[in-house]
This record gives sequence, C-alpha cells and structure tokens, in this order.
Amino acid sequence: MTNLYSRGDRLFVIANMVLVGLFTISTLYPFLYILAVSFSSGFAVTSGQVFLYPVQLTLAAYEKVLSEPMFWTSYGNTFIYTFGGTLMSLLLIVPGAYALSRPQLIGRRFWNLFVAFTMWFNAGLIPFFLNMRDLGLLDSYFGIIIAFAVNGFNIILLRNFFESIPKSFEEAARMDGANEFQVLWKVFIPLSKPALATITLFCIVSRWNGYFWAMVLLRSEDKIPLQVYLRQTIIELTADDEFAVTLLNADYSFETVSAAIMICSIIPVLLIYPFVQKYFNKGILLGGVKE
Amino acid sequence: MSMRETVGPATEELVAEAKESQRDRFRRRAVWLGDHMRREWQIYLMLLPVLIWFVVFLYKPMYGLQIAFKDYSIFRGVAGSPWIGFEHFQTLFGNDQFLRAIKNTFIISSLSLLVGFPVPIILALMFNEIRNERYKRTAQTIVYLPHFISLVIIAGIVISVFSPSTGVINLALQKLGFEPIYFLTRPEWFRPIFIGTGIWQEAGFQSIVYLAAIAGVNPSLYESAVVDGASRWQMMWKITLPSILPTIIIMLIIRIGNLLEVGFELIILLYQPATYQTGDVINSFIYRQGLQGAQYDLAAAAGLFNAVVAFILVMAANTISRRVSKTSLW
Amino acid sequence: MRNLRSISALLAATVAFTTPVFADEHLKVTDEPLTLDIHFHFRDRVVYDNNWPVEKRAAELTGVSLNNVASLASTSSQEAFNLLIASGDIPDIVGGDSLKDKFNLYGPQGAFLPLNELIEEHAPNIKAFFDENPDLLKAAQAADGNLYYIPYLPDGKFARAWFVRQDWLDKLGLEAPDNVDELYEVLTAFRNQDPNGNGKKDEIPYFARQWPELLRLLVLWDGRSTGTDAAHGFYVEDGEVKHPYTGENYKIGISNIAKWYKEGLIDPEVFTRGARTREELLGNNVGGMTHDWFASTSGYNVSLADEVPGIDFRAFLPPKSVSGKRIEENRRTLLKPDGWAIGHTNENPIETIKYFDFWFTEEGRRLANFGLEGEQYDLVDGKPQFKDEVLNSDSPVNAQLWAIGAQIPRGFFMDYSYEEQWTNEIALEGIKLYESEDLLIPEFLGVSMTPEEQEVYDRYWSSILTYMLEKQQAWILGSGDVEAEWDSYNAQLERLGYDKVMEVMNTAYDRQYGE
Repeated sequence: MTNLYSRGDRLFVIANMVLVGLFTISTLYPFLYILAVSFSSGFAVTSGQVFLYPVQLTLAAYEKVLSEPMFWTSYGNTFIYTFGGTLMSLLLIVPGAYALSRPQLIGRRFWNLFVAFTMWFNAGLIPFFLNMRDLGLLDSYFGIIIAFAVNGFNIILLRNFFESIPKSFEEAARMDGANEFQVLWKVFIPLSKPALATITLFCIVSRWNGYFWAMVLLRSEDKIPLQVYLRQTIIELTADDEFAVTLLNADYSFETVSAAIMICSIIPVLLIYPFVQKYFNKGILLGGVKE
Repeated sequence: MSMRETVGPATEELVAEAKESQRDRFRRRAVWLGDHMRREWQIYLMLLPVLIWFVVFLYKPMYGLQIAFKDYSIFRGVAGSPWIGFEHFQTLFGNDQFLRAIKNTFIISSLSLLVGFPVPIILALMFNEIRNERYKRTAQTIVYLPHFISLVIIAGIVISVFSPSTGVINLALQKLGFEPIYFLTRPEWFRPIFIGTGIWQEAGFQSIVYLAAIAGVNPSLYESAVVDGASRWQMMWKITLPSILPTIIIMLIIRIGNLLEVGFELIILLYQPATYQTGDVINSFIYRQGLQGAQYDLAAAAGLFNAVVAFILVMAANTISRRVSKTSLW
Repeated sequence: MRNLRSISALLAATVAFTTPVFADEHLKVTDEPLTLDIHFHFRDRVVYDNNWPVEKRAAELTGVSLNNVASLASTSSQEAFNLLIASGDIPDIVGGDSLKDKFNLYGPQGAFLPLNELIEEHAPNIKAFFDENPDLLKAAQAADGNLYYIPYLPDGKFARAWFVRQDWLDKLGLEAPDNVDELYEVLTAFRNQDPNGNGKKDEIPYFARQWPELLRLLVLWDGRSTGTDAAHGFYVEDGEVKHPYTGENYKIGISNIAKWYKEGLIDPEVFTRGARTREELLGNNVGGMTHDWFASTSGYNVSLADEVPGIDFRAFLPPKSVSGKRIEENRRTLLKPDGWAIGHTNENPIETIKYFDFWFTEEGRRLANFGLEGEQYDLVDGKPQFKDEVLNSDSPVNAQLWAIGAQIPRGFFMDYSYEEQWTNEIALEGIKLYESEDLLIPEFLGVSMTPEEQEVYDRYWSSILTYMLEKQQAWILGSGDVEAEWDSYNAQLERLGYDKVMEVMNTAYDRQYGE
C-alpha cells in the first residue's frame, strides 16, 4: 500500500490535533472548576481562593447532599422523566418523521409547515398552563412526559435524514413485499442510527436539564426532578439580605453544595455520550445493495 | 322557430357531457383518493399521533397569541380582558430603547451566525480527521460539557476571567505593557465577549448534529477517493462537506429563524447599565419592563413581533433553499 | 392508694389538657373548628406547612386551622402567585412576600375582598393598630381606597449602617470621620498609607456588596440615593414625590463620586464583584469601609477573627454632609409588601378576619414572633426570653423560627425585641450609637395608582430609569462627564416622559396620603 500520508497531510493532522486539544482544554475548565468547588470548604470558596483545584479538601458538601432523602427522590424522578420522556418522544417522532419524508404523502408541504410553525409561534406561559390544567395533566408524571415529548426541530432533523437514504434500499424491501411499517423498522431505522442516536441524545439531554416546566406544572414535592431540587437548594442556602448569616467558617456553603449537586447531575450526562458515540462510527452496514 | 329551440340536442348533449365529465372528474378523484388511502393508510396512521399531539398541546392554547392585542389581566383571563389592538406595539415601537434593543439583537445574532455558525461544523470536521479513537471520544465528551453548566456559573467564570485586577486576560495585557481594561463595563467589548462566550459554550454540543451527519456518509466514497490518490484535505472538501450539506442547510435555515432570539439569561448576567447601549436585547428589555408587574401582554406583543419577523426570514430562506438546493424545512 | 394516684393523675392530665383552652377562650374565633385553604409561598423557597408548631398552636387557640394548597415544586413565589390567579382557583387566603402591588391590582378587579368594613366590625386589634398608625393604613391601601391585605409590619429602626476598620484607623492614628471632608481624608489614607501592612497598594477603601450602596455617598452632598426599601426608589420631600437622580445636589454628588472612583478610593470592580464582596475583601484584609446591614456585617468580626487578626469592623455615625446634616438614609421599612389577603371565594370572611385579628392580640403577636412558650422561650417578668438552646444553637435563631412557622410574612406586627436577643454585641453597640442621635428620615411607602395612572407609569418609567442608570454608571466610571452632559441629561429625561411620571406619582400621592 502506498504511503497514505503526504507531508502536507501529516502537518494537517498534527495542527488539527493541537487545535482540538486547545479548545478541549478551554471547555474542560468550568467542569474542573465546579469539581474543585465541590470538594473545597465553604470558606475557601467564598473568600475566592478556589480556581482550579480544591482548597481545604473536604467531603462536607457531598455529605450534605447525599444525606438528603429529597436528593435521591428527585434523582429517581429525573430518571423517570428522562426515560419515559425519551421513549414517548421516539414513539411519536420516528413514525411521524418517516411519514413526513414520504413523497406520496398528500399535503406534505402543508404538514411540514404545520410542524415547523410551532417552532416560532407559541401561546405563552399562561395559556399553556391553563391548557394543561384543563386536560387534567397538572402534577402528574404522565403530564410532564407527554406534554414535552415532541418538538419541531427533532422531527425536521430526523425527516431530513430519512430523506437522504437512497431509494434503492427502500425498493429492495418493497420488492420483498414489505409494508410501510416493515420498511421503517427493517430498513430506515437501522440505516439511521447516527440520526436516531442524535435525537435520542437531544431528548435525553433536554429532559435531564428540564426544570422550568416541571416547576410550573408540578405541585407535590415527591415528583420534582433533580434540577428543581438543585434550584430549591441553592435558593434555600442563599442567605437573605437582612439576616445574612456568615457561613464563613462552615465546612460547606451554598456554593459548594450546589457545585456538588451539579457534579452529581452532570455525571450521568458524561457517561451517556460514549454510548451515543458508538453510533457515530463511519460505515453503516450497507450489506446487500450496491449503488 | 324561437332561439330557444335552436339550443337543441347538440348543446344539451355538450352540457350533459360537461357535467358528466365534471362528475367524472370528481368521481375519479374520489376513487383515486380511496385507492391512495387503501394503499398508503399506514403512512397516515404514522403521522396521526404526532399531529394530534401538536393540536392538543401546541395549537389548542394558541388563542393566547391574542394577549399581544389585549390589556391582559391574569385574573380576568384572555376572554375577559379588553381588546386594545396595536397599542402595545405602538408603545414598544415608540420607545427608543426598544428600537435600540432590536438593533442590538439583530447585530449580536447576525455576528453570532457569521462567526459562530461555522464553528461547530469545523469542529465536527476536525474531529472527523482524528484517527485516535480514544482521543477523539474523550475530546468530544469534554467539549460538549459547557452546554450543561448553568449560565450562572458560566457568567461567573467570564466575569472573573475578564476582571481588571485578577483576570487572566488583564494579567496577560499587563505583562505586555498595557493598562488593564474593565471589560464588562465597556460597550465596545460587550458583544465580542457575549458572542464568544456563547460560541464557546455551545460549539461542542452543536457539533453533534454534524458528527451524526458525517457518520452517515458512504465510506465507499472515501475508499475510491483514496484509490484516486486524494489527500485528506481534498477528501474533506470534495466528499465530506458536500455530503453533509443538506444538514448544514437545514440548520442554517433554523438558525436564521432564530435571528431575533437572543436568550436573555446570559445577557442579564453579563450586562451593566454602561453596556446597555450595545448589549440590551429585546428579551432583556422586556424582562426589565416586565419586572414592573408581570406585563405579560407587552411581553406577548414583543414575542409576537419576534415570531413574525423570524418566520418571514425563515420562509424566505426556505424558499430560496428549496429552489437552489432542493433541501428545505417545508 | 392506687386509685387516688391514678385519679389525681387523670385530673392533672385533664387540667393540663384543658387549661390552655380555658385560659385563652377569648381568642376563639369560631365554635365549630374551621379549616381554611391557604396559598402561601414566600422568598421563593418556603410554603405554608400545616404541621408547623405555630400553626397548630394557633389552630388550638382560635379554632381555625389552615391547609396549604400552594405548589411545593415552584421556585418562584411570584410565578406561583401568577399561576394561581390565572387558574381562577383562588383559595380562602392568599399570602406571601412582595405581593402588595398585586393585591392592589387584582383586589379591585374582584380577586380579593376589601377588608375595611370587616376590620371595622370584627377586628378590634388590627383596627387599634391602624388607628395608631394611620399613615401605614393609607400606604397599604389600593387606589380605590380599600385595604386588600393585612401587611407584615416590621419593627425596629435601623437596617444598614456605615462600617469602618477601626483597627486601621487606630494604626494610622485617625478618628472615625465626622464629616464628608474627613471621610475623604480617611479613605485617601487607607489607600496610600498601607494600613494592612503588606507593602502593597492593594487596599480598597470603600466597597459595596450591592453596588447601589455606593450611591449612599450621595447624601454627603445633600443628595439622596433612594427613599424606599429598594434601590433607585423615589423619595418624599415637603409633601412632594421626587426622584433622587435629578437635581443639582445629585450632579455635585455624582461628580464627586466619579472623582473618588478615579482616585482609587472606591472599589474599581464595584459593579461586578457581587455577593461575595465582604468575604473577599474583608477576608483578604483589603476592604476598609462599607455601608451594609448591621447584624450580618458585624458578624464578620467574629467569623474572621482568625483569618484577620485584630479585625475591628464597626459602625460609625454617618458623616455630616456639606451642609452639616447627618442622616442615615436607610431604615427598616415600616410596611412590607408582604402579608395576606382574603380570596373572593371565601365563605367565612368574618371568621377569617377574626383569625387575622388574632395575630394582633398579645398572645398572637408573641406566637408569631417568638414561637411557643416553654419550647422556644420562657416568660421572664412577663417578657419572652429565648431559651439558651435556641440562642446557642448552630442554626441561626431566625432560621429556627422559620422552621416552626414563626417570623414568616403573614400579616402580623413584628417585635424587635425578638431580634435584639440574638443580635451580636458589636451590632448592638452600633445600634445604640445610631440611636443616640436623630438620624432617621421619613420613608416613602409607595403609592397605589389607578389603572390610568399605572399605564402612564408603566409606559415611561422603565425606560427613564434605564437611561438614568446608564448615564450614572458612565459618569462614575469616567467615560462621561456629568457637568458637561447635565443639560442634555435633563432634556432627555423630559423627552422620555419624566414630568408625566412625576405628575401621576404626585396625584396618586396626594390622593393616598392627603387629607
């Protein structure tokens, strides 16, 4: 085999790695900072000593966080919303995007516009809230799961990907007598692994980070997700103006505790990505059909 | 013989034929539709749940868009609040600071688009060229982290990085012999800092879409290019980029549609009265107005203005794109 | 023998069980126990708890118990309130913090019941309070002359004070500054004479945790920074509502502040340093003077005793202005926009107002302020005295009280003596110092506007204030010159509608506080 890399190529590769490396380091910094804060003492953080590594190393913040039952309850709730929500999203979005990608769909342009329109026009907080109330979906797991299951962006993205799959695959399947469901299941889904992985990731991330609507639509404390709990904790530990109590000598402060909670909520997100990255391998199994 | 009698059987036949063919056409259409549905019902079945979802959750409450035209009281509700037409829009557009906010929003957004839109693409392409899987995967995971870090922390970091006394930037400046600059109070620096922060925070996460698209490229294309003796650089330009062009276009159209949406949270955290002149955007302006007492109606009017302008931009971009590249949102 | 003992035990138990009820029968509001639904969400974090000991005791005494219907998931009290109103399911009682404007907006629209007559006929204690404080009643009312909520009424005079590093003064042989010129000298000395002794010119003479506290310096040139509890507020002078960011004295004050800023006497990063300012600057031994809350600021002497040996950060009297006046502009507000109101669907308004009135009786007031007798406090010479466990606990006293339902912003009259008992020594000394002179000035308690007036205010004010703050910051930072731009500043204010806003403010003011 001839030498794959020319001189220019090698330079290119090295410059590439260096630039990527620099950028990566810069984006790593905030994470390291929060990690450091979470393991530092309250005093060290509030007097501004912590920049990159923990000062006055302590587990006090984590102890406080992990010992609160509400932390575990809200963590579990987040899993429910994330898993249930993502599943619901895929169940609705995948067939929908497929249907929208079929050229024989009557009114295709209209339906696509119907979907896209909602990306810019929305009714506002109060009407949405009242609608949920009228549907009886306040303060329920199902309500949160279903009401945010779909968004136009994901549909359009997936539809676009479906449209780019060559017709030959579809035709091969149809010649074998497959109906639409089978075509979707046996042909399109396996061929769209990267796109599906992306959509899944987006759903997971958005559910995981979601707090605003959970805060508005939920009422009982045992249903709140982690992000709402995080916010409650931060607010609770933030001293009131008039009665600002100096926690200078405390082992933990609101900053270290919120940092600890943030780390706990970022860890799963860190672990998810490698799974998704597997699907970004080039060369999907094409097997069977030549262009 | 009267004229009427000259409208004889020939004409009648013609008329009858015409009606017949009209009915025929209608019948044929109905038959075609019936056939079509019999063949394609599965597609419509797949589409139905999503459509119902949109109607129930997003379209049903859209009567709320009226709030922009009403003197809205939460207590009285939409129906009970009086209609005032375009008064809110008059209030907004009669206000110089709102106009300034529109200008700032537009400038920040378009600069962000110009400078920031290519970054995730370039990043994805660069990742694509990394051979070492572990390095690639690790770096990808790290660069997408800032997306998850709350804006309060990000703002805190930005403030301390640019601090005149202890920030790294100013320390470097001083080493080079310059005077320290209180960056976050200087109007000329606000936009670059804000835009830069946004790009840096989101580039990693936004590159995921492009990484997925790149993964979908047929590898045999690369194989034949290697055989033809193409360099990595050429392969990137001639194969990778064109293959992911549809994705890029879709993302671009959507981004154009978000031209008036500059999120107010980070703005509020970073701006100061001294930088309002370049940093105050529509959403932060409304936020300040709204603080005067939950002015939902004014906010709704601004929001509606945003939406209409954005939508017009999107329609234009979409149409152009459809003609030129056959890729479009609808 | 056993019978006798068990009988006396039974008797004792009966007496113990019934004594409180017998003794305080007069507090009973209803014969049949009554439960009222309440939405009470405050400080973005606390929701009414049916199990609060204070709530239970109040229920025992009055026969009325409250049942919380507010969401436990919300992290915004204002949002929770808005959603409640939007949903239309307004419960018997609605309360929380910063709701006055909303009570006075939706009350006239019919969401809440007007209370004036109810108070007149059924709430003697509240009536007595307002008879003694007619201005507070006027301040709380809506534009239609009705009272729609029972407010939380703080007690105690002082809030913030001037603080200085007495140990630095001692080291440099200086006295606490008595007037504006001496203040300038002290700050300059702090800057140039290295009182923290580290050989570096890193001292930050005047700092402020909340940058509007920088503007307190304006009083030194007979200007004002605000007349209300909040920053940038209006003030009243000679019966007229004015805004502090106008007028000759403001101009002189700002140009002096700009000069001091330029000379390094004011924290260069005052606008961005944020909530950690005291910890950072005092903790690193560079901060010299500030204007901040008595109790919390004094606390740093204790908490930083090891980090900064010899630290003596104490209150000193406000320096005299150029005209010789000595005032402390910031005071504890007399009327908070916190409290509770009666929802329009309430079927027992009379019992409810009587229940509200309970909190203004002697026992009710004590319950709301101190908690339960025998648990949080004991009566010593008829005065409540916190128990030692409460005062010496790890958790601050006020946090402990919030946890049992005391000191929450229901409609009640606070009692400063509760706070006095756990305020630290240094703060108490400072307060005594401040009380020794006549420092306080009248507060502007706000106005309630008619819908038309409100419209004018809403239309213009936000932009006017934005403009004022933009110019102000530019002047202080030195990127603008207040003298040169003064005329165009005033012209622009007029163009932005300043006079129109002042007109409606004064109309509303005359109507509200007149007669």
